[in-house]
Amino acid sequence: MSVLANLKARFSRERVKLQLDDIQALILRSRPEPYVGLHAMLHVDEAEGGRDLVRRLAPHIPAADDWTDDMDAWTGVAISHAGLKALGVPEASLKSFPLPFQQGMAARAEQLRDFGENAPDRWEDAFRPGTCHIAVTIYARDEAALEKAIEVAMTELEASHGVTLVGTHSFGADADAKNPFGFRDSISQPTVAGGGVDPRGDERAIAAGEFILGENSETGAPVAMPEPAPLGRNGSFVVLRKYQSAVGAFNDFIRANADSEADQEKLAAKMFGRWRSGAPLILAPDRDDEALGADRSRNNDFNFAEDPKGLVCPHSAHMRRLNPRDSQLTILTDVNIHRIIRRSSTFGPKWTPDVTAADDAKDDRGIFFIFISARAYDTIEFLQQEWINRGNFIDLGTERDPIVALHEEPGTFTIPQEQARRRVNGVTTFNRLMGGEYLFMPSLTALRWIGEAGWR
Amino acid sequence: MTTDNKDPRLADESKLQEIWRRVEEVAADAPHLAKIALEAMIRKHNPDLKGSARSAGRAGKQSGNVSELTAIATLKPGGAERLRRIFDLTAGNMDGAQRVSTLHDMRFVFFDDDTRILFATAYDGDWDAYINDFATKIPELMDLLFANVEGWPGIDSPKVKDFIADHQIDAAGWFVANPQVTVVDVRRFQRMEKALNAFLDAEAANMGIDPTTKAALGQLTDAISKPEGVDY
Repeated sequence: MSVLANLKARFSRERVKLQLDDIQALILRSRPEPYVGLHAMLHVDEAEGGRDLVRRLAPHIPAADDWTDDMDAWTGVAISHAGLKALGVPEASLKSFPLPFQQGMAARAEQLRDFGENAPDRWEDAFRPGTCHIAVTIYARDEAALEKAIEVAMTELEASHGVTLVGTHSFGADADAKNPFGFRDSISQPTVAGGGVDPRGDERAIAAGEFILGENSETGAPVAMPEPAPLGRNGSFVVLRKYQSAVGAFNDFIRANADSEADQEKLAAKMFGRWRSGAPLILAPDRDDEALGADRSRNNDFNFAEDPKGLVCPHSAHMRRLNPRDSQLTILTDVNIHRIIRRSSTFGPKWTPDVTAADDAKDDRGIFFIFISARAYDTIEFLQQEWINRGNFIDLGTERDPIVALHEEPGTFTIPQEQARRRVNGVTTFNRLMGGEYLFMPSLTALRWIGEAGWR
Repeated sequence: MTTDNKDPRLADESKLQEIWRRVEEVAADAPHLAKIALEAMIRKHNPDLKGSARSAGRAGKQSGNVSELTAIATLKPGGAERLRRIFDLTAGNMDGAQRVSTLHDMRFVFFDDDTRILFATAYDGDWDAYINDFATKIPELMDLLFANVEGWPGIDSPKVKDFIADHQIDAAGWFVANPQVTVVDVRRFQRMEKALNAFLDAEAANMGIDPTTKAALGQLTDAISKPEGVDY
């Protein structure tokens, strides 16, 4: 059963507690597989022209009601702090945003541990501070639907003035939805309480305020929200980070540290926490299980309680680090306030085993790591500091995430074993940061408020 | 009106205000305090983690092996500026302090427009035991730091202990995460971890291992392979 059909069957309008007709569809709507899409980045040169474009785009941004129904294409809009400023949003509102969002991602390099090869001074030009003002993303079920949606957006852009199109980026996923390393991605998605779909199995719904501004969060109260209410309410925050994937270096690392092809696949799975198909190690300890990986009702239905030593799925595996579920951690942690709605997209050629480090320079492969959360800026800084670029929380000292961490010096990956744990050395930065930004995803009310200069 | 309280603001309270304040304080704190007290009663404490609240000797408190010293003193004119220059030079990393090998931390805080200093430290052992050793082993550092304090008699003065004790204030509340662990212990643990890691690296791939060693290794691995929350 596909994920969409599954959600649709479980959706019940009576259980909806959110103002779905005011929330951008992109926040809740799952993408079909396969899907195609386009990211566009805009720069506002002149406030009135920018607002005119936002006003024109607003009617083309669908709301989240009927978010489990099929749709041919949908467009989402997010705006950076510099973008809000360029659009003329009043100072009082600009200052009501949380500090990290006001500062922007580049200025938060210290908190994000974006040093060395990941430092902002080495980012792509499009991500230089103050460049990215408005991000428009279109998802579609096929090329024809995407073309149509792009045409609608482009028509509005051409009719507007004072806005520059900085760049566009096409992406897509086939039915396997695999990342640049050849692993199925974006599997684990939280269930948003009040969205109309109940969680499955052991999972519990996450308080809506973790994703939608103005709703109660896991603390029982809403998280920080910009003012006035028409601007903040029903919005959310987006983290965008573009990574260049060193797929060849990763392939070489696997080959250098495991002999047979089966052992190489196993080492790679230990690093990700899942096999290529998406089958989690916890449910498939010895070998990949294609049917399990493709089955949305089973491929995320597990936890770590029965693997306290990490003998099946290492504590340091990427997937276990980024969502430890019920794992015993060394530090007091509420895993439910670090959940994210994943909207990452992959670009570049499909993975093959014969790619080597020599190919990395000429191939453009990577991932737009994108996620949505009402505290996205806090979440990414927490993830970068604690779960990605450290090992203290799992008793591993300074060991880092083997897939997405920055490794200024070659790092170690620990694989627990009965006799004595194995440490694999020589982990390098397999995903290099090319740029990123903190974005605000306004409600439909807020888009109109901005477009019509509602503060006047 | 209470007699054991020195907060002058409380003297201005009317009797009724006082009653209301006390009722509110108790009501607000009660559930949380009761929970802490209950937890403390029913919990079986690991002796490795046991702390205490006894005296560290002449002044300050002691918990397990660790003691606290908090002192407030008046600075000589320009003293804050001179100390800042010293701290900037060493970037907070004081070699002399490292050599002492009993200091967990030290902090120097200027307040009242740089006229006064708060000095706070956590250290291993008792108050008197090492003051004499500091006087002979790191006299320059001690004098460099404290010569900027009004009335400092000099580390080699027979009056130095009285001077420190006179400026010291016992902590009312103090918490030590690892009361049984000394600075020296931590360094040994770090050396042990490096050595242990090298050993485990060698044994992870050792296929020709005898049964006794294999069992011992298994026990060792078992003891360290589960992440555990820090218990106090």
